[in-house]
Amino acid sequence: MARFAFFGGKGGVGKTTVSAAYALKCATAGLETLVVSTDPAHSTSDVFDQQFSDEPEPVADHDGLHAMEIDPDQEVEDHLGELRRQLGEQLSPAMVNEVSMQLEMAHQTPGAYEAALFDRFIDVMRDADDFDRVVFDTAPTAGTLRLLSLPEFLQRWIEGLLEKREKSIDYFERAALGEERVRRMQEADPIIARLTERKERFEFAGQALREDAAFHLVCNPDQLSIRETRRTIETLEAANLPLKGIVVNRLTPEPEEDEEGRGARYLRDRVATERERLREIRDFEAPVVAEIETRSSEVVGSLLADVADELAIEPTARP
Amino acid sequence: MTLAERIAAYREVLAEWLHGLYHGMIEHPATEKIEKEAEDLADAFMLACFPDAFGIPSPVSYYTAELLPYLGDEYEAWQRRMWDRDSLVERKGQQYHF
Repeated sequence: MARFAFFGGKGGVGKTTVSAAYALKCATAGLETLVVSTDPAHSTSDVFDQQFSDEPEPVADHDGLHAMEIDPDQEVEDHLGELRRQLGEQLSPAMVNEVSMQLEMAHQTPGAYEAALFDRFIDVMRDADDFDRVVFDTAPTAGTLRLLSLPEFLQRWIEGLLEKREKSIDYFERAALGEERVRRMQEADPIIARLTERKERFEFAGQALREDAAFHLVCNPDQLSIRETRRTIETLEAANLPLKGIVVNRLTPEPEEDEEGRGARYLRDRVATERERLREIRDFEAPVVAEIETRSSEVVGSLLADVADELAIEPTARP
Repeated sequence: MTLAERIAAYREVLAEWLHGLYHGMIEHPATEKIEKEAEDLADAFMLACFPDAFGIPSPVSYYTAELLPYLGDEYEAWQRRMWDRDSLVERKGQQYHF
């Protein structure tokens, strides 16, 4: 049984680095680990210097570590294409126009990106039997975490639709006074079948997220990032999702005592400010599980292992 | 024709008439009512699925779009009905055959 770890936070705080480091830590501890990136910029590929696709692939030189990259835009595109194909099969060309307008519209709404992403998350969680741990590096849109908090809401919505459909079919059946043709409708209705499938997916997602997932927020020691973190914590709380810890990334290293000069003074000032911010972050209810110093270059290759060592999230414990 | 036969024939005619009256006064209007209600429910279902067709954003339109291949004809007819619909009183009053 796989367990799911989500890393969220504002864009640019270092989610990808922290997720990759955590995944590496899990793999080193002997867990079959999959890290799922949703960044269209494919930064996970940069971290491991290896090109990943939207199927899990082993990471070279790291036993037990796998990675995949989901491109939400591509997912939306594929979904639209698949539905267009089905539409062409089932409808006359004359009809297709009105309907494809609606189809097009549904894929351009602001929520489509998140919906596609969430859909793919559910796929990954369902097929995760091969892995002991799945680490999600969530896309830096505010909508993603919000959507993760919504499966119950979506499920209820779908249930409402299902109920309406069943009732209307039931009435049609009654009006037909027992004609065999209509009586068969209820069982064979493809709409009811599709909606039921959707409902089950959301049910699964809701349960997995509540009982089998842990959320970590990555933040930087600055006002903006802290404010964003506070908002996200509220969202998670409202949705009853378990926040396990906060990772503070990009802390400024302190200069040596005897160092003087412009650079050292700047660093000392910075460290003082950040200490202030850190105090704010520690005031959050969730524990600070790691304080990671900023690096002078991008965290790739062996630097990743260093960062992994700084993470105090025990991989063997339930995440 | 014996008396018994005449009574039987009379009863047959009576039964036919009574059934006709029953069908015309009760059965048919009732079925019609149910059918209208079923149509209204089906329309409500469509509106709940695709409110964005009328400018109301929906959080699930990405998912309900999956139903479109199966709802093609219905969707078209529904849109036409929605744009060109009688008042509610007219629609609900149709069952009373004045």
